[in-house]
Amino acid sequence: MQESCASGMDHDLRDLAELERLILQQISESSTIDELEGVRIRYLGRKGEISALLKHIGNLAPEQRPVFGAAVNALRDKVTQMIAARKAELDREALEQSLARDTIDVSLPGEVFELGGLHPLTKALREITSILSSMGFTVYESREAETDDMNFVKLNVPKGHPARDMQETFYLTGTTLLRTHTSPGQIRGMLALEGKLPVRFIVPGRVYRRDQTDASHHPVFFQVEGLAIDADVTFKQLRGVISALMNRFFGQDVKIRLRPSYFPFTEPSCEVDISCVFCKGEGCSVCGNSGYLEVAGAGMVHPQVLINGGYDPEEVSGFAFGFGLDRLAMLKYGIDDIRLLYGNDKRFLSQFRGL
Amino acid sequence: MRVPWKWLNEYVNLPWDPQEAAHRLTMAGVCVEELIYDELGVTSVVSARIMEVEPHPTRPGQKVGILDTGAEKLQIVSGAPGFEKGNITLVAPPGACLPGGLRIEAREVDGVLSEGMVVCSNELLTGQAPRPLEDIILLPAGTSPGVPASDLFELDDWVMDLDLTVNYSHCLGILGVAMEAAALARRPLKLPEVLARGQWAGPHGSRDPEPNAPGNPEFRLDLPEPEACPRYVGKLVEDVRFAYSPVNMERRLMLAGQRPLNLVVDVTNYVMLETGQPLHAFDADQIADNTIIVRSSKPGETLVTLDGIERELPENTILITDPSGPIGIAGIMGGKHTEVTKNTRRVLIESAYFDPLTVRLASQKLKLRTEAALRFEKGLDPTAQTAVAERAAALIGSLAGGMPVPGYTEANYLDITPKRILLRMQTVERLLGTRISAETCREILERVNFQVDQDVFHAQAPSIAVTVPPRRVDIHGEVDLVEEVARHSGYDSFGTGDLSGAVPGGITDPKLLCVEKIRDLLVSHGGLECITNSLISREDLARLGWDSDDPRGNPVPLQHPLSSEESVLRTGIIPGLVKVASSNIRSGIQGMFIWEVGRVFFPADRSSDGGLPLETTQIGLVSYGVLKPKTWLGGPEEAGFYHMKGVIHSLLNLLGISDVKYLPKAGMPFHPGRSAKIAAHMSTVGEIGDLHPACLKELDIPVPVTACWLSLDGLLSMVKPKGFVPPSRLMPVERDLAVIVPEEVPGGEVVEAIRQTGRHLDSVALFDVWRKPPVPPGHKSLAFRLVYQPTDKTLTEEDLAEDRERIMERLRKDCNAVLRS
Repeated sequence: MQESCASGMDHDLRDLAELERLILQQISESSTIDELEGVRIRYLGRKGEISALLKHIGNLAPEQRPVFGAAVNALRDKVTQMIAARKAELDREALEQSLARDTIDVSLPGEVFELGGLHPLTKALREITSILSSMGFTVYESREAETDDMNFVKLNVPKGHPARDMQETFYLTGTTLLRTHTSPGQIRGMLALEGKLPVRFIVPGRVYRRDQTDASHHPVFFQVEGLAIDADVTFKQLRGVISALMNRFFGQDVKIRLRPSYFPFTEPSCEVDISCVFCKGEGCSVCGNSGYLEVAGAGMVHPQVLINGGYDPEEVSGFAFGFGLDRLAMLKYGIDDIRLLYGNDKRFLSQFRGL
Repeated sequence: MRVPWKWLNEYVNLPWDPQEAAHRLTMAGVCVEELIYDELGVTSVVSARIMEVEPHPTRPGQKVGILDTGAEKLQIVSGAPGFEKGNITLVAPPGACLPGGLRIEAREVDGVLSEGMVVCSNELLTGQAPRPLEDIILLPAGTSPGVPASDLFELDDWVMDLDLTVNYSHCLGILGVAMEAAALARRPLKLPEVLARGQWAGPHGSRDPEPNAPGNPEFRLDLPEPEACPRYVGKLVEDVRFAYSPVNMERRLMLAGQRPLNLVVDVTNYVMLETGQPLHAFDADQIADNTIIVRSSKPGETLVTLDGIERELPENTILITDPSGPIGIAGIMGGKHTEVTKNTRRVLIESAYFDPLTVRLASQKLKLRTEAALRFEKGLDPTAQTAVAERAAALIGSLAGGMPVPGYTEANYLDITPKRILLRMQTVERLLGTRISAETCREILERVNFQVDQDVFHAQAPSIAVTVPPRRVDIHGEVDLVEEVARHSGYDSFGTGDLSGAVPGGITDPKLLCVEKIRDLLVSHGGLECITNSLISREDLARLGWDSDDPRGNPVPLQHPLSSEESVLRTGIIPGLVKVASSNIRSGIQGMFIWEVGRVFFPADRSSDGGLPLETTQIGLVSYGVLKPKTWLGGPEEAGFYHMKGVIHSLLNLLGISDVKYLPKAGMPFHPGRSAKIAAHMSTVGEIGDLHPACLKELDIPVPVTACWLSLDGLLSMVKPKGFVPPSRLMPVERDLAVIVPEEVPGGEVVEAIRQTGRHLDSVALFDVWRKPPVPPGHKSLAFRLVYQPTDKTLTEEDLAEDRERIMERLRKDCNAVLRS
């Protein structure tokens, strides 16, 4: 080799050109990264041919060295470049192949996650709680089993009062019963506050009445009681709170009407009617063609009830309201039979999953 | 109460149609529940003059008359009394219709053509044949022929059906409603003459309309129990002869929901409906010794009441008696023996005031809710008795020719000093949120016949002194007057206000906050929330194996349940949920995971207040069947012990309760080998397991069911605020460890031993259980993934090997374990 190199530079340069053609052919024919790496090692590796040629430069005559050296360096650079280019090409091909190989059928269904759900009464209560919370009402949970005294007497309904007919009662003993309304929660809630102001809470929960089960009655149902007491609480504010509640719960187009009524524990007392959510007040079978639906009872807390709760009616005033959660939920979701709420059929409950 | 429109308008000339009046009354608190148009369906019945009458040629008692209706002459056969020449009566020509769809046609009576029929009151109002002793209708002499019956009588009318609140006893008479309507319409009230004379509507109550008449000495009266019967007025009417009531009175009674009987009884009903004061008419000649004693019942006394039923009279029932025994149940119903009959000549009208509560209790005990009882028990005007008795006597006198005997048999223990209440304008404004002037309040109150004294007007703190008419038994204090002013101003006239002062609201009770988070967690784990009846049956408890040895088998019973199905308070949530599962299984639902949060009840212990049951909150969970269907990705996911346990694990994690043990074998209703008590911080907070096959059999459930209950109160006592540990800078290291242990060693103990022994261990997860070769029989292989989290220095292989050896040493010792290589 040394002989031949020494024998003539022209010959060496021709060999270089031949070598370059050979290498470039091998590069372009490499179909895998490994093959390409073999080519690189064969020519550019420490013991590779081009590396050998570079070492060979020292053996040349000094005048030949620059020319031959430049040619070998150029060859090395070119090969390096071509290998890099080919490598990029092979990488891209490999990626493309892997993308094709890893392609999935996106139309197939995903993993199944069975969504649970809240009972419609809980959903409605959460909404009501959230609306009233924004107006400063906290939540007070009272007992379900009550004394006759708390359920009636403290609320101005002594024994023998005709108002007891309004609520057929399940007695447990002569003096204990299942609360017929959430109103005893007013007294317990007030007593718990020990005279502090303002009083502003709701009492949600189960109530019990001796009603035979039918499409609109169930012996166990839910009420939400509200109570607000302060130095300056008025009937006008009662209207404001009830309107805000009904408009947020049923929609802004619902109209409110307050109608004089009677509850022994409020005075003045009223029924709260809303324009029928089904016929928009036009009159339909749900509202008995009246255009209005009775949804709540309310009024200014009776002075005696304030006294029973530890407040002075000369110093403070308050309003109270109570409504049937079942009724509100049924109106909102269009449920026409209360038995659906307590039947817990999966096909019914499943429809209330989600928002 | 039913209020016929034309009757109402007799007392006040309302400027409204019935619909508008109903609306106005309703919005003033006199709730008109329904407005009904009550039509008899009478057509073409007209007045006619009887021109000539001849006897029927062959039928004895029948007469043949020629009647002139103005438009035509009709030949009519009739045998009715009063069918005489010259009388003007009502005739139904062929083609006319009577109530009940009865259509009149011409017919022959024994060869004589009868072109229609002469109509008596009963035929006109009910379409039924004349009653005994019933005459034809005699119209006034000046009546022209051809006038339609509907112009002569109040046949068709609107009826307002009131749904009165219990405080509105003053509207239990049509006059009371008229007074409200007159106030709303600002029209005068027109009272019947006798009542006007007695100042029935006055602010001080009625006065005796015959103040100067001598007392009636013929009857003796004894009121030995003035608390129960403080006032009794007897009014005697003599020379009464039997009659039916005039058509309009009968029709009004029918419209108001009462059945007409005879004039005397009808008048007592009519005047009761008019004034609200119940009356009773005795045949005075049947009252022994002309003596009336109003006293409590004696043991064993009975009375045959007007409806013909012999009733045992409960103790403490107030009775109207004569010396021979009971003749009426005070305020509820009269006796049969003294009732007014066709032979009655002397009538004693009773107009009394009975104690509301006494009447109410007696009426409840007798299960006899009469119109009279419904009125007495609500409380009546205690001044009205004489005026109303007089009104009834005058009506009987004018309609049946009886002679009211001047004066009364009367006793009165009532102190009727009208209430005076000070109404401060400041109170009105403070409660309503709107200023209403003293002048306006005065006007409103005077319109409903309160008396307002103006002399207490003060410019600084204006107020008015109000005298409450005794009729208004619902008015007790200042706030009641505020309502009176408010309802006559219109509840919707005060505008809308906001609560003043920003107050933080929302759920603050930690227990309620936790419950809401638990609800969300259960939803996110696929659970459907149920709300089940908290009233259940003893059988529901027994079916779960909770017998009398178990506190859960001793529920709080209701005194008077509606049915045995709903007769006791639940002692657990599971019974209700299991019923839900059972009904869904019967509906073909393949699987379900359901839960409920609610109260459970246990009998009071000595420390509880007022003998009230103990109430605690429980979470119940039940699942069965396929929870997630098999898909191409895997599954199906089935309900079962380990699914439920996983949910409980999440729930306890949420609450930050980590010291939890599952102690094998819970009691009923669980399968002894597939259940556990859940112990947190050494105390039992719940139970979990598959239901016992015996329970499933009792419940007739064909598939396995898993259930769990947790005591929320128990869990919440363990919730503590948690701090946090900053995450380590060092990477966690994972190592697997597989051991073989004898089958009887619980896996949980192995996990616990590893957890306690390992150092820097973050978690231990069991990822495989293997019971086949090469694992020897009677053994199982448990494979764990251990995650180490070094805190201060990287763990070396030597450290990890050392830890593994430490763990194995413990497992060899405590769990009889060998390392699986």
